[in-house]
Amino acid sequence: MSDQATHIIPGQSVVSRLSGMATSGLTTAVVVAVLIFMPLLLGGSWTFTLGLCFANSIGVLAVSLLVRYGGEVSIGHTFFTALGAYSVGVLDTRYGISLWASVPLALLLGVVFGLLFAWPSRNLHGIYLAVTTLALALAVPEMINNFDVLTGGYEGLYVATPFIPGIEMGLQRYYVALFMLVIVCLAVARLRLSRQGMALLLAKAHPAAADAFGTRRVWARVSIMGISGGIGAICGATLAFSGSTVSPGGFTFWQAIFLLVGSVVSFYGLSLTRVLIGGAFVTLVPQLLSASGAWIPVLYGLALLGMILLGHYMPRIRKAMNRKAEAN
Amino acid sequence: MDQTTNALRGEGIALSFGGIKVLRGLDVEFRAGEITGLIGPNGAGKTSLFNCLTGAYLPQEGTISYAGDPLNGLPPAARANKGIVRSFQHVALCPDLTVRENVMMGIARNGSAGWLSAFLPLPGGTREREEMARSADEALADLGLPDVGDKLPGELPPGMQRLVEIARAVVGKPSVLMLDEPAAGLNNSETRDLTKVLRKLASTDLVMVVVEHDMDLVMSICDRIYVLNFGEFVAVGSPEEVRSNPDVVRIYLGSDDDE
Repeated sequence: MSDQATHIIPGQSVVSRLSGMATSGLTTAVVVAVLIFMPLLLGGSWTFTLGLCFANSIGVLAVSLLVRYGGEVSIGHTFFTALGAYSVGVLDTRYGISLWASVPLALLLGVVFGLLFAWPSRNLHGIYLAVTTLALALAVPEMINNFDVLTGGYEGLYVATPFIPGIEMGLQRYYVALFMLVIVCLAVARLRLSRQGMALLLAKAHPAAADAFGTRRVWARVSIMGISGGIGAICGATLAFSGSTVSPGGFTFWQAIFLLVGSVVSFYGLSLTRVLIGGAFVTLVPQLLSASGAWIPVLYGLALLGMILLGHYMPRIRKAMNRKAEAN
Repeated sequence: MDQTTNALRGEGIALSFGGIKVLRGLDVEFRAGEITGLIGPNGAGKTSLFNCLTGAYLPQEGTISYAGDPLNGLPPAARANKGIVRSFQHVALCPDLTVRENVMMGIARNGSAGWLSAFLPLPGGTREREEMARSADEALADLGLPDVGDKLPGELPPGMQRLVEIARAVVGKPSVLMLDEPAAGLNNSETRDLTKVLRKLASTDLVMVVVEHDMDLVMSICDRIYVLNFGEFVAVGSPEEVRSNPDVVRIYLGSDDDE
């Protein structure tokens, strides 16, 4: 899975090195294998929570992708997750159509609205673009409430149509989310090796050089917003199915901030293991702290600080441990 | 072939930034089959002229054309599609791409694999990547860098990074190759290798323009040299003519004050 530009080991082949296959392929396979068997070991509530964790991991991936390939930060990705979630929710509750049709629709809407957002904001960068995405996040709950005929307003929608009829719904909510996460991670790893992915990376690192070799900056900006929006929408579609309900409370400004926090906690990693760390932080930490009352924000902040410091000092700790092991 | 048919021409190119005149109505003709040097002290306007010709800057006055086709108003990407490519004064390789992939970017614009191939392992996209990788490896080998394809640019010394930039520029078999200070940061041995490489690249249908401060390199490879100072040409001619031009000696070649 893609996790480029980290832990370079000279001499490795390009494919294995840059897609991370050699370094993280085994880890990823083991993680996926463990996750496949998790429902056999865990109770229903944990299976449910892990399903949400997988869905949020996709959202974290969408935000990280924008950072890694576009060099930009979004604090408004709940706009895209809401698009995906309501595609699933509306098609399911109003028309009884399952994920087979609603996920492609969600992807399409995410891409289209990503492109529509990117075009007028194509010349904005850094904090200016981030604040523009904030407008999206702030608008989402109101838009959902105003379209209550379709969205169900505050009450929301309940997603009950199974993806594969005959299989227990609790298991489906878990495995569909895991499947989506794996597929999206594989697609992103593939993107890294494509000419489009390489062009996006060059445009991020050296826009003038990209221009000089036929890659327009505007193309790069619009493309990465479209891709990130599409993946954000898949996150929403997965959240809707795995969480079983879709309501405005799931797409607030704070949810958008949490996705960004998850992305930062995972150090903008694009590999399955990295985005899982981000998704777990977004999903599990609030749940674990839910009994802490007024201390929740403080403990959440401490957990965030702890994760960032751990990630920051981990290479040094690892190096020190290796030195110690060699000395022994 | 008539050298002037496929020439890159600029007529009356004038560029200014906020009232400061950087280029003052320059007429240039870079001919196919020749290596043309563009020299001058720092701040003379060499890179600005480069940027005008490649589309990074839009001059306020003047026309630019290649092989008779007007280029005015065309963005850099569109000029690249016409085979007009450049290297940069400061190495502009992507640190997240391998050396091979950086070179592949020189031909990626010619690829036809669509977005589906970007996300799915379709045979068309895989085949295209393999072909591009093969072309990149050939370009690297031609420049004497056969074994660095899998490395990242940051793992190479500056001299090799320069050569990788040149490989990226030549891999697509350009019609106009513009090199901005290709010998900057190279040691004597690397500069000698670069000289050989540039001579090897020169062909009857390639317009090659070199901006360079290394006078030995310029004098040894260039067929014609333009000398720029304060946005104006002070001399144009063969290396011998330029070398013996008293103005050139005064403003550039013989004076350390200009550096």
